[in-house]
Amino acid sequence: MPGRGRCPDCGSAELVEDSHYSQNQLVCSDCGCVVTEGILTTTFSDEGNLREVTYSRSTGENEQVSRSQQRGLRRVRDLCRVLQLPPTFEDTAVAYYQQAHQLAGIRTARLQKKEVLAGCCVLITCRQRNWPLTMGTICTLLYADLDVFSGTYMQIVKLLGLDVPSLCLVDLVKTYCSSFKLFEASPSVPAKYVEDKEKMLSRTLQLVELADETWLVTGRHPLPVITAATFLAWQSLRPSDRLTCSLARFCKLANVDLPYPASSRLQELLAVLLRMAEQLAWLQVLKLDKRSVVKHIGDLLQHRHMLVRKAFRDGTAEIDAGEKELQGQGQGQALGDEDVGSSSLELPAGKRPSSPALLLPPCMLKPPKRVCPAPPVSMVTGDEDISDSEIEQYLRTPQEVRDFQKAQAARQAAQGTPNPP
Amino acid sequence: MGWVRSSATPSLVHHLFPPAICGSVDVGDQARPPARPLVPCSQPWPRPRLATSSRGPINGFCAPHAWPTQPQLHSLWLFPPFPTSQLPTVSPPPMEETYLELYLDQCSSQDALTPSRSPLLSPAVPYDVDMLTSSNPETAFNPQLEEVTEASGSFSAVDLSFLPDELSQENKDQTVIRSKHEVEENCKTQSRQIRLPLPSQLDAGLALNSSSGSGSHSHLHPADGNSAQPSPEKPHSMPLASITPMTPMAPISECSGIVPQLQNIVSTVNLACKLDLKKIALHAKNAEYNPKRFAAVIMRIREPRTTALIFSSGKMVCTGAKSEEQSRLAARKYARVVQKLGFPARFLDFTIQNMVASCDVRFPISLEGLVLTHQQFSSYEPELFPGLIYRMVKPRIVLLIFVSGKVVLTGAKKRSDIYEAFENIYPILKGFKKA
Repeated sequence: MPGRGRCPDCGSAELVEDSHYSQNQLVCSDCGCVVTEGILTTTFSDEGNLREVTYSRSTGENEQVSRSQQRGLRRVRDLCRVLQLPPTFEDTAVAYYQQAHQLAGIRTARLQKKEVLAGCCVLITCRQRNWPLTMGTICTLLYADLDVFSGTYMQIVKLLGLDVPSLCLVDLVKTYCSSFKLFEASPSVPAKYVEDKEKMLSRTLQLVELADETWLVTGRHPLPVITAATFLAWQSLRPSDRLTCSLARFCKLANVDLPYPASSRLQELLAVLLRMAEQLAWLQVLKLDKRSVVKHIGDLLQHRHMLVRKAFRDGTAEIDAGEKELQGQGQGQALGDEDVGSSSLELPAGKRPSSPALLLPPCMLKPPKRVCPAPPVSMVTGDEDISDSEIEQYLRTPQEVRDFQKAQAARQAAQGTPNPP
Repeated sequence: MGWVRSSATPSLVHHLFPPAICGSVDVGDQARPPARPLVPCSQPWPRPRLATSSRGPINGFCAPHAWPTQPQLHSLWLFPPFPTSQLPTVSPPPMEETYLELYLDQCSSQDALTPSRSPLLSPAVPYDVDMLTSSNPETAFNPQLEEVTEASGSFSAVDLSFLPDELSQENKDQTVIRSKHEVEENCKTQSRQIRLPLPSQLDAGLALNSSSGSGSHSHLHPADGNSAQPSPEKPHSMPLASITPMTPMAPISECSGIVPQLQNIVSTVNLACKLDLKKIALHAKNAEYNPKRFAAVIMRIREPRTTALIFSSGKMVCTGAKSEEQSRLAARKYARVVQKLGFPARFLDFTIQNMVASCDVRFPISLEGLVLTHQQFSSYEPELFPGLIYRMVKPRIVLLIFVSGKVVLTGAKKRSDIYEAFENIYPILKGFKKA
């Protein structure tokens, strides 16, 4: 501190009070000469009152970092430890957080955003190392809203210019399936519901792959598809005992949250399996429905590539052909094509031949909710005359204005007296 | 009979299709030609009409589709047709008359076309070798050339107006050369050299693009071995500015055949007067004003169905229109309402801020594949949003691409940007047709 004296060595007035471990020292900032220092040794009785200072607090490394940044970095480290990530992930996530903190937009953001930012950095690190971590998990850990999280995530990816690969579905299946508590008997899980982990994993993977091939995964949240696939895999491994168990009960047993879209994904997956079953000779004779097809999932999965090829026409080729035939039709071509398309199967007389369905995402198979007619092309030049009468229709007459003002005043008065007599 | 000579642009031997003109260069050893008698045209003054491509070629050039919106153009009507200036009776009447018609067509179609926002002159080919003495090759006539060439049946049947300038440059140059030859033949009888004095007062808006001009110099030099014949007649169309080729009036994309439909236009306009929002909300039936929620009046009109946010500073935002013209009409209607309420509202700086369009490519798209190959432009987070967000760099448009094949384009300030963006994305999407 200037004014406190001069350094005996170089004579500068720039003396700084600095602490070296637990010892106060007055140091010259020019030459480094220690001018005065506190007591280095203590008596035995004094030592009993002293407390040791941790290294991180004594080195001053945190004096350059602001408190909010320190808090954020601590949060990042805690998240990594809770998620049991490998140690290298922590360093990367911390580096990203520090980088993000240097951006002006982030430094001045609200605390809520900075907390969410910690989660974003961890998520980006995991994505880049192919560690399957969903945004839902992070949001639960952060107690944050998904929309706040998504806004911050998109912003930080853009600002830092990061290349974030997609979520790896296979790894996600493995981690998610392993979290189902069905692999050993317990008071809540009867023996007939217990399943071998490897078998269930492999079957679930095959079902998810099938869903991916048949447009059930693109554009949708991956988790409900995996839940539905796990449920089907589990059911099919011992159908006689498990067909009675519903999806909701299954998730409760397994101690896993049931995502809302999982039931519709389940229906879609069953529809695909039914279509495939129609192509298997020995299954055609059994009139399968959504429940009975589960028993044959094993067979269907074994020949899934061939069955998918046979069961579904290429949706895109059909659309091109169908467009030429069905131009002008308001309905989706899918329906028209299904009726028009002829089946190559030889079925017993009397049975309507089932034409191969189109391999399209479900949103394209459903009929459009409302047919939007093309808006008529209006030849408006923008410089047309505007008639007075057209404008007058939007204005209140003086009488109306008076009435409106009276009504407003009356309303104010009514609000002013909340308890009318 | 005779044409009245305009005094606005004096002494410009401004042939009907003035070639690239440098404002400062007076080409030719001749002094400014004295007022030439305009060749009397026996035909009645043709009614101005839109140029059509059915016109026959005039020395290889036909009426351009698009005409510049140069204000000075009208004065160009009155200049003598080029070759006949020296020989009042020599120039073939049909040529001259059709030149006039073309002039008129151009001028009349000025009004029909939206003003081009592009620089008035795009790179032009200096048609005349003598003109090349000017150090700044004029631009501007290239687009005319383009348009003229497209219409010309003999040279090219392809409509080039949608192509960028450089693509049609070669065609232009070729047609220029050919036309030069033709014209030279036609004017063989003319003994006197007709120089093209460059109009000194060409309008200031002419942007000179020397690079393309110099590029075309080389084309013209060899062609014009006979420099005695400057061809004033580059029977080009007129003028000085042209609509950018990239804003076609009837946009049919050649490759995809799908035209994105505009769904929403956001525009702003400055009414240039302070407004009393309370008074507006009181006197207008279609207005809502809740100062605690938002500091502007929200006004709606039925035709065109739009919503406007009117701020007390006099600025207004108009949303919901389905075309640029509708947006402008709606904004004018809002301004008129404000005027009728007693404020001195004007209509300044109307600008389109954003345009949103949508279309359907009709085949499913594998978004995972698209994000893998176009990583630097795409962002696909199925956990957050079912569509892929593609940020195109040129033109700067954001596209939302969905698995069903529906595409939403947004962020455009001009309609052409949207069409261009869709044309750019369509081949990419076709590549991801199969899963």
